[in-house]
Amino acid sequence: MKKTKGCIWLVMPMYIFTLIFVAFPFLYMFLLSFMSRAKVWGVDFTFTLANYEKILDPLYLGTFVDSFKLAFLSTGIIVLLGYPYGYFMARMSEKWKKRMMLLIMIPFWTSALIRLYGWIIVFRSNGILDKVLTGIGLTDSPLKLLYTYPAVVVGMVYGLFPFMVLAVYSSAEKMDYRLVEAARDLGASSVKAFFTVTLRLTLPGLLSGVILTFVPSMGLFFIADILGGNKILLVGNVIQEQMTKGRNIPFAAAMSVILMILTSLMMALYRRVSGTTELEGIM
Amino acid sequence: MKKLLALLLTGALAVGSLTGCGGKEEKGELNLFTWDGMFPQEILDGFEEETGYIINYSNFDYDETMLAKLEETEGGEYDLVIADDYIIEVVIAEGLAQKLDTSKIATYDYLNPVFMSQFYDPANEYTVPHGAGIPLIVYDPTLTDVEITGYESLWNPALEDNIAITANYRVINGITLLTMGESMNTEDLDKIAAAGEKLKELAPNIRVINDSNTQDFILSGEAAVGFLYTSQVVAALMTNPELELVVPKEGLGFGIMASFIPSQAPNPDAAYAFLEYINRPENAAKCFEYLGYYCTNKAAEQYISEDMKRLLVLPEDAAAGEIIQNISVEAEDLHSKNWNEFMNACD
Repeated sequence: MKKTKGCIWLVMPMYIFTLIFVAFPFLYMFLLSFMSRAKVWGVDFTFTLANYEKILDPLYLGTFVDSFKLAFLSTGIIVLLGYPYGYFMARMSEKWKKRMMLLIMIPFWTSALIRLYGWIIVFRSNGILDKVLTGIGLTDSPLKLLYTYPAVVVGMVYGLFPFMVLAVYSSAEKMDYRLVEAARDLGASSVKAFFTVTLRLTLPGLLSGVILTFVPSMGLFFIADILGGNKILLVGNVIQEQMTKGRNIPFAAAMSVILMILTSLMMALYRRVSGTTELEGIM
Repeated sequence: MKKLLALLLTGALAVGSLTGCGGKEEKGELNLFTWDGMFPQEILDGFEEETGYIINYSNFDYDETMLAKLEETEGGEYDLVIADDYIIEVVIAEGLAQKLDTSKIATYDYLNPVFMSQFYDPANEYTVPHGAGIPLIVYDPTLTDVEITGYESLWNPALEDNIAITANYRVINGITLLTMGESMNTEDLDKIAAAGEKLKELAPNIRVINDSNTQDFILSGEAAVGFLYTSQVVAALMTNPELELVVPKEGLGFGIMASFIPSQAPNPDAAYAFLEYINRPENAAKCFEYLGYYCTNKAAEQYISEDMKRLLVLPEDAAAGEIIQNISVEAEDLHSKNWNEFMNACD
């Protein structure tokens, strides 16, 4: 203990940061969730449980269910696409690794919002996809691709895909490939070697990828806004709307508290299922 | 080179301000407080030229900022403020506006009574309207055969997946109430609930719900029909004059901007002079053509250019207008819930 005493000043910034930007806001939000809304604007500081009661309304419970459904669906697709990408990227030569990494990173240099607007150009009536599909005679123009559920799923998958790739990549890179070779030498089929060796060893990366994609996809309200035309109501949308037009900040806080509890439970569940206590890069 | 340029610019600025101050007889300042870009430069210059007052134009982004500023200065510092209806109600209630002496505004009688005597100032004691916003229906006749006459037409099953609407739930719930013959501001929870049920039936027709640049969906052909805010209606029809504009027969939702003189205004005479000047019919016409909101000056209508008329002049036979007001917390909550149920039904 004595040894660390001198270091305390080096650690302080981290504690202060956590206190100011994590602990206080969370406490503030938690307390707000028990307040009532003021008639015109702001918050009335009278204690109430009404915000939580209101969440029990089938409408709002439904938005949680819908959000989970969408998050599961997007995460599932991202796993199917991102896992092989990350895995094979890790198996490439150093030169190609760098190139592939660059391809993943470049889009990050542009704001996520602007990239989503790019999808609008692709999906809209008389847009790129519409013209191509009509051009090869598959469909009759104009198509209505934008502002549909699949468009939102595409946006989610596109936006969160890199997180999965990077997580899988980092654990596949560390994997000792000689273990797979040994399994093959000992007579395991390639499928069996994959499931018993490769998958096991890259599981922490895969799971942290799942968390990195699942948790944000619960709250990415702007994707449902921009590509779903505001027609798909997710928890994130309700919170955002209650904060702004609904002028019901306490209710938004209560929704956020429940959302945080649910996602924490999901994370605990992942850890239990995977049996790992250490998830690559997250905890 | 850069330094030289900077020097030249500073020089130009200095000369400009010198001539600005030195020129003619000085009567003092008009401290005008409103949004940025409310008046064409021509009008501001013309007023200074004619009256000798110097305009000191300060702007705010949100009505709430204006209110906070007025509270802070206790109704002083500014001579004339232009803001939205709902906030003016608060300003008047807090005693931050002074009663007008309309005899000092020679052009007062030119104002259009349709936009006066509203909830925020029922006896017109404090305010002079300056522009109104009215959300209206715009549609592309090449994309639909449905004849649209009012809000009720939006429920026509032939418009499936073909309507773009703005995202203000009080407005959307409000027009649903109007189709049922109710007030947009009713606090009767049963009626609001019934409107919520009716609104859900509109869901299959909704292509997109969006608050900003909603006109783009009509211009790009993404949707045939749009229910748009005034600025969007103007943008849509200026870009594509072939679009049809519908002034719904069931009733209109008004948003009115109005001017008032703060209680401790340093120079109210300047404010009266300005109100007189901007309400001269030719001047008012220029203001509204520039602003792109409905003309609240009756006498100015004839001076508005023909192609702008359908955008800025409310037809004689237009239905009565109503402004959305703050209602009880229960009613407001029910509106919000109706809206979420509606959104949920849309996908």
